[in-house]
Amino acid sequence: MKNTRPFIRTIAVGVAVAITATLTACGSSGGGSSNQSGPTGSATPLPGKGKPAITMGDKNFAEEYLLGNLYAQALRAQGFTVNLKGNIGASAVIDKALTSGRIDMYPEYTGVIYTELAKLGDRPQSAQQTLQGATQWENERGFAVLDPTPFQDADGVAVLKDFAQQHGLTTMEDLTKLGKFSFGGPPENETRYQGVVGMKQAYGLNQIQFKPLSIGLQYSALDKHQVDSIAIFTTDGQLASGKYTVLTDTKGIFGFQQVVPVVKKSVLQAEGPAFEQTLNKVSALLTTQAIVTMNKAVQIDQKNPAAVAKAFLQANGMA
Amino acid sequence: MYFLAPAADSGGPVIPNFGKTSSCVLDNKTFCWDWFRSNWGSTFEPALIQHIELTAIAVGIGFVIAFTLAITAHRARWMVTPVTLLGSLLYTIPSLAAFEILVSITGINWYTVEIALVSYTLLILFTNILAGLSSISPEVLDAAHGIGLTSRQTLIRVELPLALPTIIAGLRVAVVTIISLATVAAYIMPTGLGKPIFDAIASGGFNTKFIGAGVMCIALALVADGLFVVLQRILTPWAAARRGV
Amino acid sequence: MSNSFVEAFSFIEHHGDLLLDQVKVHLEISAESVAIAILLGGPLGVLLGHLHRFSFLAINISNVGRALPSLAVLAIGLPYVGVGKLDVIIALVVLAVPPILTNAYVAVDQVDPDTVDAAKGIGLRPLQVLTKVELPQALPLIFAGIRTSAVFVVATATLGGIFGGGGLGAVINNRESYGLDGIIAACYVLIVLTFAVQLLFVGLERAVTPAGMRATRSSTRSGFTRRRATVVLTEGGVTQEEQSDLVDQGSRT
Repeated sequence: MKNTRPFIRTIAVGVAVAITATLTACGSSGGGSSNQSGPTGSATPLPGKGKPAITMGDKNFAEEYLLGNLYAQALRAQGFTVNLKGNIGASAVIDKALTSGRIDMYPEYTGVIYTELAKLGDRPQSAQQTLQGATQWENERGFAVLDPTPFQDADGVAVLKDFAQQHGLTTMEDLTKLGKFSFGGPPENETRYQGVVGMKQAYGLNQIQFKPLSIGLQYSALDKHQVDSIAIFTTDGQLASGKYTVLTDTKGIFGFQQVVPVVKKSVLQAEGPAFEQTLNKVSALLTTQAIVTMNKAVQIDQKNPAAVAKAFLQANGMA
Repeated sequence: MYFLAPAADSGGPVIPNFGKTSSCVLDNKTFCWDWFRSNWGSTFEPALIQHIELTAIAVGIGFVIAFTLAITAHRARWMVTPVTLLGSLLYTIPSLAAFEILVSITGINWYTVEIALVSYTLLILFTNILAGLSSISPEVLDAAHGIGLTSRQTLIRVELPLALPTIIAGLRVAVVTIISLATVAAYIMPTGLGKPIFDAIASGGFNTKFIGAGVMCIALALVADGLFVVLQRILTPWAAARRGV
Repeated sequence: MSNSFVEAFSFIEHHGDLLLDQVKVHLEISAESVAIAILLGGPLGVLLGHLHRFSFLAINISNVGRALPSLAVLAIGLPYVGVGKLDVIIALVVLAVPPILTNAYVAVDQVDPDTVDAAKGIGLRPLQVLTKVELPQALPLIFAGIRTSAVFVVATATLGGIFGGGGLGAVINNRESYGLDGIIAACYVLIVLTFAVQLLFVGLERAVTPAGMRATRSSTRSGFTRRRATVVLTEGGVTQEEQSDLVDQGSRT
């Protein structure tokens, strides 16, 4: 009958669409986050075996990708089941994920906890004081703070070396010589004391023009002379090139910034002592030289953070 | 003991060599073909596959919903305006915000991404399916009625086939739109062709990732668009006759 | 969380200045991009339509343009021009030109041939035919193309916030500072902005539509204009471009 061909075509299209949708739905797994357990078959059962799975998050820049992978892979090597959700966002966002239970732990910087999350109004005078204040605040909220890393990674302000020489800039106070100047950095800097707010309050840099740039794009903007100065992290791989001058933070607005794993207390309990020991063992390995070398591998050499973390852990017998 | 202590003599950790890097990568030249090739399997191919999956699921589900709504609205005309209004509203929400807002409700997973993407397909598909059904001339419907077809038979044997070109046009626009929006999904969850782009943003701006993922995404969209053009030509030869081709 | 939808309004109240500043930046970037796109696509489309040349290219460029994923175009510009306003504007221009060019082409190409013949018959030279006969009749559809582009640009400029372009996207990209309230507030503002731009151009279209053609237009209450199905007729049937144009009036991204 002449009528059936169009009819058959319609059904064909409908079936094709339905099949495609179903197949891809069945084929897709959780995607986007890695979920693995460690090696099996050793003589002594690994301490992580049988423990409940945990979800770890990391923030939205290269060093945090490394930290997330370092901690997660070391734990997996001990048999723990770790679900790593990468690139969640900046501090306030990932802290919200922590408090709302979406993640059980993440690596954070002590100074950021102290000044930006806890918003304790005073300025701590040492790394130890920062750690204490941060630990106390997190404990009150139900989270444990584990051992800090030897390295610190504070925010900073950098300019091109030539620019620094041309305008005689060595410290942040020298920026007042410029009058009006532009400062590019991640958007949250606009409202942070460890950012534009501190620069204005502590250094009197009221003529600062802030240009929000997603983290990671600042160096390219500075190289192209699109901004006069940028926000950097003191352990960035790019700083090793010698092209940039980091201005000394004489007033210490950027604080003391060791990394600590922040873990929900109940999770810490449930996972047993080897969990905490493993994390602390990893943290102890992270000297400034180690983290800068790894940052460089990721940011400059474009190596995969997971691969870099694995190589480092293997070289140190932890993976 | 579960692990070895670090080398005692150095006093610090062992820092391995992480491998050589080509000068193309170190200088961050516009596009490093070698890097692209050697990282195809780890970076670009998975992103592409995820992207296709995301799109197929979103358009598939969106089609089912829109189709149901359109068929119902075809008979119950009062539904058209509210559905269109709702669809337009959803469509106007900027994708960046939509993903962020949904994360707070449904978390960082595929459900969040798909809910957002499906919402974007609804307006396109609903409007096009309905337009296709509505554009059938009354004479044809009379003729169908005249030869004794029931309402349901008319729908399946006459209206839908005639509406097919428009429906496929709608699918075409929907697929291409979702391919574009799925790149933004990587803002909240590392998946799809947006992942290399956002990763590159977070790691200092590696150009090869921008260009590689960007070009792949454009190619995917154009190929999909072309496929639908071909599909339409195959499925509706009578429209071709009318076109005078 | 559902509170945020309400809290967003108080955000608008308390941060009105911030939002207003960003709206200005947003509109500035959008307006510049659309203006450049009109300059690049309008005259070219009109000329090709007048000459009835390169029809395949002119009609299909809007399909290609529509297919281009916005984030990809924004990202591809980065190695060349770096972050900031320029990258965003270039990307927006690339995305905005196709609808304007295609609509300009079709608008002039589809002017009633009898009218054109009559004009030639009474002795008008080609340039006069273009300006006195073809353009006035083509203006509504040209403006429809500009409208599609403008709405799309305003929506897509949001993504530019990630790449240093500023605007409402910069607020949305800054959940750290402004919270969910801020994001939703920026959303509200953007939705209103989009509809405002939509309405503005619908009004402009009406204004340039010759009285005789006006009677056949209709608009739904939602403010979207449904184009007459017969306005864009090619080769005796309704083309797919036209069908998708019926829908392609909203924003994207």
